[in-house]
Amino acid sequence: MTDTLTTRSARAPLAAPADGRKNHRRGRLLGKNPLGLLFSGPYLVFVLAVFAFPIGYSVYIAFHDFFFAAPGAQVDRPFVGFDNFVTALTDPAVIRSFANVGVFLLINVPLTVVLSLVLATALNRITRLRTFLRVSYYVPYVTASVAVVAIWLFLFSGDGFVNQVLGPLAPDPSWLINEQLAMPTIAIFVTWKQLGFYILLYLAALQAVPKELYESASTDGAGAIRSFFSVTVPGVRSATVLVLLVSTVTGANLFTEPYLLTGGGGPNGASASPVLIMYQRGLQQGQPDVAAAIGIILVILVLIIAFIQNRFVGGDDR
Amino acid sequence: MRRRRIVGTALIAVGAIALAACSAGGGGTTAGTGRGDITIWYSNNEQEVEWGKQMVEAWNAEHPDEQIKGQEIPAGKSSEEVIGAAITAGNAPCLIYNTAPSAVGQFEKQGGLVDLSSLDGGAAYIEERSGDVAQQYQNSDGEYFQMPWKSNPVVIFYNKDLFAQAGLDPENPQLSTYADFLATSKALVDAGVSTVAIQPAPTSEFFQTQFDFYPLYAAATGGQQIVEDNKATFADEAGYDVADFWATMYKDHYSSQEQFQGDAFAEGYASMAIVGPWAVSVYKDVNWGSVPVPTKDGADPADIWTFSDAKNIGLYSACKNQATAWDVLTFSTSQEQDRKLLEITGQMPIRKDLQTTYADYFAANPAYQAFGDQASRTVEVPPGPNTVQMLQAFRDAWSESVIFGKGDTKTALDEAAEKIDTIGQQP
Amino acid sequence: MTAVARPRRQRPVSGVSRAGAIVRGIVLGLGALLFLFPFYYMVIGSLQTTVDPSIAGAFPNPGNLTLDNYVAINSRINLLTGLVNSGIFTGGVLLGTFVFGLLAGYSLAMLQWRGRSATFALALLVQVVPFQLLMIPLYVLIARDFGLADNYLGMILPFFINSTAVVIFRAYFLQLPKELFEAARIDGASELRLLWSVAIPLVRPALVTVVLLTFIGPWNEFLWPFLVTKDAALQPLAVSLANYITTVSASAANPFGAILAGALVLAAPVVVLFIVFQRYFTSTDIGSGVKG
Repeated sequence: MTDTLTTRSARAPLAAPADGRKNHRRGRLLGKNPLGLLFSGPYLVFVLAVFAFPIGYSVYIAFHDFFFAAPGAQVDRPFVGFDNFVTALTDPAVIRSFANVGVFLLINVPLTVVLSLVLATALNRITRLRTFLRVSYYVPYVTASVAVVAIWLFLFSGDGFVNQVLGPLAPDPSWLINEQLAMPTIAIFVTWKQLGFYILLYLAALQAVPKELYESASTDGAGAIRSFFSVTVPGVRSATVLVLLVSTVTGANLFTEPYLLTGGGGPNGASASPVLIMYQRGLQQGQPDVAAAIGIILVILVLIIAFIQNRFVGGDDR
Repeated sequence: MRRRRIVGTALIAVGAIALAACSAGGGGTTAGTGRGDITIWYSNNEQEVEWGKQMVEAWNAEHPDEQIKGQEIPAGKSSEEVIGAAITAGNAPCLIYNTAPSAVGQFEKQGGLVDLSSLDGGAAYIEERSGDVAQQYQNSDGEYFQMPWKSNPVVIFYNKDLFAQAGLDPENPQLSTYADFLATSKALVDAGVSTVAIQPAPTSEFFQTQFDFYPLYAAATGGQQIVEDNKATFADEAGYDVADFWATMYKDHYSSQEQFQGDAFAEGYASMAIVGPWAVSVYKDVNWGSVPVPTKDGADPADIWTFSDAKNIGLYSACKNQATAWDVLTFSTSQEQDRKLLEITGQMPIRKDLQTTYADYFAANPAYQAFGDQASRTVEVPPGPNTVQMLQAFRDAWSESVIFGKGDTKTALDEAAEKIDTIGQQP
Repeated sequence: MTAVARPRRQRPVSGVSRAGAIVRGIVLGLGALLFLFPFYYMVIGSLQTTVDPSIAGAFPNPGNLTLDNYVAINSRINLLTGLVNSGIFTGGVLLGTFVFGLLAGYSLAMLQWRGRSATFALALLVQVVPFQLLMIPLYVLIARDFGLADNYLGMILPFFINSTAVVIFRAYFLQLPKELFEAARIDGASELRLLWSVAIPLVRPALVTVVLLTFIGPWNEFLWPFLVTKDAALQPLAVSLANYITTVSASAANPFGAILAGALVLAAPVVVLFIVFQRYFTSTDIGSGVKG
């Protein structure tokens, strides 16, 4: 027994790198571990079966004069090239919605990254009441938007709690019907609601920052703030990349909050998001072709932003 | 990178192939034939559910071979999406007792509805039951793709107690002209009996127009549509007056720009409401009175028109047993079932001679009398496949100029009219 | 860049002053209260007979407390059925994600095969595309072509394997020391064996985290099940609650209280789950996984 083992391990380094026992010739075709394909097989089948058709169909829809029809109905669906895209891009409501989402991202993403890191760092060190404190930051994240929105509307309405506390400082018109404040209010709401998730990611990442680095920093005379910037921040860089990516993607796809908080897009569409417009055009007004065009524009923009983020903040999490 | 491109192309190929396979869809049944079990949907409003259930039970008892299965669907803003999706997937039920007239044009365009006039005696039945009002529910070719079922003529409710508290006469409120209405609103708000005078929903959904502009415009013009022959008609004197009226209400804070969470009238946030008879059961704890909507210089209540807020019945093309469905349709809109509808929900069946046919009901329920009378003078939303888009365009202009006071109302209405004309040109 | 895959004990970092700790504690405490306040308001609101928007309403009169709201909403939408349906829906998704998602994540991290980066790109792409874009074609696919309308399977299917989980799994597995696997492979272990006896135990704490993160999606999801089920007996609680809010509440007494009651019932299981499992969040290998 031992002989075979030693022989095998002795031989192994001379042969190809040890990775699976597949035949190398066959391995060439499907990669070194075609078993990987098998493992990912069900996932791939799932994605292709469930998403390929809708995504492909949406692309198809965007290039035709299209509306949904009953099966068997005879309808004319001419190919119209980029017409739908032009319609979408020249509609002021659509442009405004993209601008709104831009405002949202500008507020939400940096706030999320900074707050979640700071809070995670603090929560990491705390020893008393740890469970209570940590759970309290997660609670908004786990509660359904539908439920939390009701409370938020109640608190932020014209005569709501917040305005009563603020007294003369309360904005007029009130938060969600104020053209300038509507989107920022939503941005704050979403940041508050999602923070738990990102705190979680950072909390975990913080565990991997070697304690020795902090110790050496403090022996060098660095205070808490200094070591935060020179040890913590670089140490969790890949988590930052992940947080940036996820918050940007979910932010760009913002739908539930404008839909629930401002019922239809707010004052003059000041809080409409592209996905909300897509929903209205596509599902309520029977214009799925324009909606699909908006969707595709959105996806492309998000991919571009994600690419830029990756370049700048770096990190090789591939 | 290359791999990604390959996968991307493969995806689209798969999608396209699947698409081709799927669009070779199945054919439908010949209209009006087929007998057997059917499914129907009704709104999930409590009273309508009660009516629906008893109707289904009554039918099922008599027809063991043609059973109905009833399901609720959300009545609110999302019912059109649900129905549209069901039509596309081919699994819409036979009858939907919650089909909004504004969506019928679209459903018809999608091929989702059965032309009731093509059925034997279809048009005759509809016109026999509803009289002249039925005409409003035809499409541009004079066909009936929906069966007018019930309406909720919109009137003004006012809170008698709050009026009395403000020193106003609760039995003779001054609400028939715009000037009077504004003065009464001022008195109410100044007296502090309620935060606002009346609170129509200020949000931007396309259907909210039906509860502020529409009823007053109908009253001001004696029943004119806002779009006729694909051209907007509302950019006229009457339209501007209505817009200015509401703009003043918002500007002077007799109505709030912010959506109220909850029911403004029931909770005393507003002293008045602009609602239909469905509200009677909701406001049973409020001492309310009702008057028709105001017109600029006042008019005889017997001449005032309003918005119908109708919900109709559609027979959907995905139905396999259309003969049964038609019979259920006629059964559920028979005199007896319409009486039950009246009794259980208080909503007005779209019947000609409503008040005489159910004289005993109205005698026993004087609260509904005003509605019964008003039901004969109602205006519906414009027919056609682009109604929702038009209403949304209107609502956007309204929201900006009237509710939020940005820009001139006249210009806003004119621009909206232009936009709607363009929309009307779409096929 | 491999980190040690063992839970660490928390040690207070030396050099942090007492005053700093107190300030930190106060700031965190205030923040926590701020985060919890709306939730607290929810609890209070659900227990009151009438709603009170004033400041005094935040500290209710004990005489005003009642359980009527819970009774009211339960009479209109069956809370228990809703919870059970939510459970079935979420359970199905957890199953799919943990069996197939885990396999996919492992193979993306540990194995070399053709199409590996394409699959990863796909997993990312699925997350970027907004659901509303796909809704109707997806509905057509599932309701018409697969015939799964009004069916638990139809509800679960689009969510069956959570792509975010796949990406996170991949990140965790990437952190595990390759040498461990090389040695085991040399000893003749099959990949499946490796996965089961070596990889999974090492990331077990991380699995708990993914359970919790994957749980929330389907539990609170309302748009898709809403579209796909008309039969009220099959609808998850999030959908019944949303229906109630948009329509029924207009004709109920104290709808606000009833809505809050329903919302609390929906949120409670998740909060409890979090409280119970949150200790696994500390010093787990999410950090090491994410860092790679």
